[in-house]
Order: sequence, then C-alpha cells, then structure tokens
Amino acid sequence: MALIIPIVFITVFGFAIFKKVKIYDEFSAGIGEAVKFSLSIIPCLAAIFMMCELFETSGLADWFTKLLSPVFSALGIPSELTKLVLIKPFSGSGSLAYLNEIIEKHGADSYVARCACVCFGSSETVFYISAVYFAGTKTKKLAMPIACVLISTFVTTIIACLLCKVT
Amino acid sequence: MNVIFTVIFFASMLIIAVTAPDELLSSLMDGAERSAKMALTLFCIYAVWMGLSRLAEKSGFSKGAARALKPLSRRIFKTDNPAALENLAMNLSCNLLGIGGAATPFAVKAIGELEKDKNDWAQKLLFVINATSIQIIPSTVIALRTGAGSGAAFDIFLPSLICTAVSTTLAVLLFVAGRKIWR
Repeated sequence: MALIIPIVFITVFGFAIFKKVKIYDEFSAGIGEAVKFSLSIIPCLAAIFMMCELFETSGLADWFTKLLSPVFSALGIPSELTKLVLIKPFSGSGSLAYLNEIIEKHGADSYVARCACVCFGSSETVFYISAVYFAGTKTKKLAMPIACVLISTFVTTIIACLLCKVT
Repeated sequence: MNVIFTVIFFASMLIIAVTAPDELLSSLMDGAERSAKMALTLFCIYAVWMGLSRLAEKSGFSKGAARALKPLSRRIFKTDNPAALENLAMNLSCNLLGIGGAATPFAVKAIGELEKDKNDWAQKLLFVINATSIQIIPSTVIALRTGAGSGAAFDIFLPSLICTAVSTTLAVLLFVAGRKIWR
C-alpha cells in the first residue's frame, strides 16, 4: 500500500521526461495554480469555520448530541458515536480528534471503536467539500445534493454499526 | 447553503449572547484562525499534487486516463468538454487509489471547466460522488488503529468497502431521483 504514492509520482515524472516536458517550469506553474486556489477558498473556509466554532461554543452541538442519542441508539448506533456522526460533516480535524478519543477510551479493537472507524472512513466533510468545490462557481440550489449526501451518509452509519456487529 | 449558514450562525449567536457573551468574539477569531491554518495545510497538499497534475496534463498522461474512462464518464456526466473529461478522469482515479488529497484539485478544475458549459448536473453529481467518499483503502483509519495498538487493524477493511459502496450508490440514486422530482 505504501508503494502506491511513489509509483504514481515516478510514473508521471517518467512519462513527462519521456515526452520532453520542461519539468521544472511546469511543476512550478502547477504550484502557482495551488497558490491561487488556496487563496480563493479562504473566504468560504473562514465563514464555515466560524459557523462551526459558534456551533460548538454555543453548546448547540452538545444539545443536539443529547437530544439525538436516544434516536441513534434506537437505530443501532452506539450513543458514543452520536457526536462523531454529527461533527463529521462539518469538521475533518474535529472529528479526527474525536475518533482518536474514542479509540483511546474504548481500545482500538472494541466494537465502538471499530464502528467509529468504519463510519469515519466511509464519510466525508460534506459542508467543507461543498464550500471548496463550489467556491468559484455560480451554481445554485445545492441543498438537494447536500441532503442526498447527508441522508446516505446517515443510512451508511446504521449499516456500518450492523456490519461491525457481524464481523 | 445560505439558509443553513444563517440558521446555525444566528441561533448559535443568540445562545452565546445569553450564556457567555464574552466568548462570541473569541470563537469567531478561533474559527478564522483555524481557516488560515487549514488554508496553509491545503496549500502544502495542493502544491505537491497540482505540481504533479500539471506534469500529468502537459505530458498527455491525463489524456490517456481520460480516454480510458471516456465512454463511462461521458455518459454519466453528460459532457463533451475534453478538459472537463480529463480532470474528471484524474479525480476518479485518485479517489479509487485512495489519495483523496490529490483528488480535490482535479475536482475543482473539472468543476471550473463544467461552469463554462453551465453543466450543473455534472458539477453536482461530481460533488455527490466525492462527498460520499469512494476511497477503497481507508488508510488514515488503519494508520490510527495500528498506532493505538490494534491487533487486527485491517479487519475494518471489508465493512469500510461495503459502506463506501453503499453510501455512494445510495447518494447518486437519491440525487437522480431528486432531479426528476424537482424538475
């Protein structure tokens, strides 16, 4: 598995050398695009992160966690996972920190930790991705696609918890 | 997005105003600080991958990938824009290889290309596919578990694979159904 990245790099570089591409010029030009891109997403990132921070500080996140825990348990999702499931769509680093906490508290091979890992691995930070992807566009009506992703992520969470019980 | 943002932002501000008024400004600043750090992290990731992607583009490597996936991606995304197809192909390949960091720049480029054709179907579909995560090897999680002393760090591989497949399929189906209902 560790070999995938070196292979990708060597193949692309080798191919570019073979095709006589000016490697240094083009590589730096690519990085130039990265600079422009990183700057262009800052406004959206800042706004979204401020919202996430407020959501946490105001206690709304905890309130939702408490409110939804019984619902989640009824659907077969352990209550320890409620917060992870709620935070994941907003914050990758936040949910990663929380995943770490679950693993440390319950042990890496426990049922809860395995569920948490599967849920974490099979979902993405939806709001952040939508901000980055659509930052430079005029595309409207994103609520429907976002809702589709959130619903299917949630259904998958239920399936994940079932699967971890079986295997 | 505007509605969600306003509701969460405003409700949170109201609560903070009552419970801890002096924390409002500092949380906003924390959020901004996190975004600056995030932008820096992203720059590091994208500098590497966009440099490489430029090489792939200039050497005709992406064209090859695009050609291989063209029959499939043309039908799914309903586009004939060659530059968009190239970036779509690279995005899907990176996702399948499990290098999510590399996938995003290609997706953003593809979306930029699709914007020229006003093809919001393809833009949103691409978002749905990427936002449900289609990685085959959950490398971050496996690394975490190994670090925590797991006896069998790979035993989540199969459940993860199933879940990833289910979530992407379901989201795409919902999206297609949603388009039919609201249009």
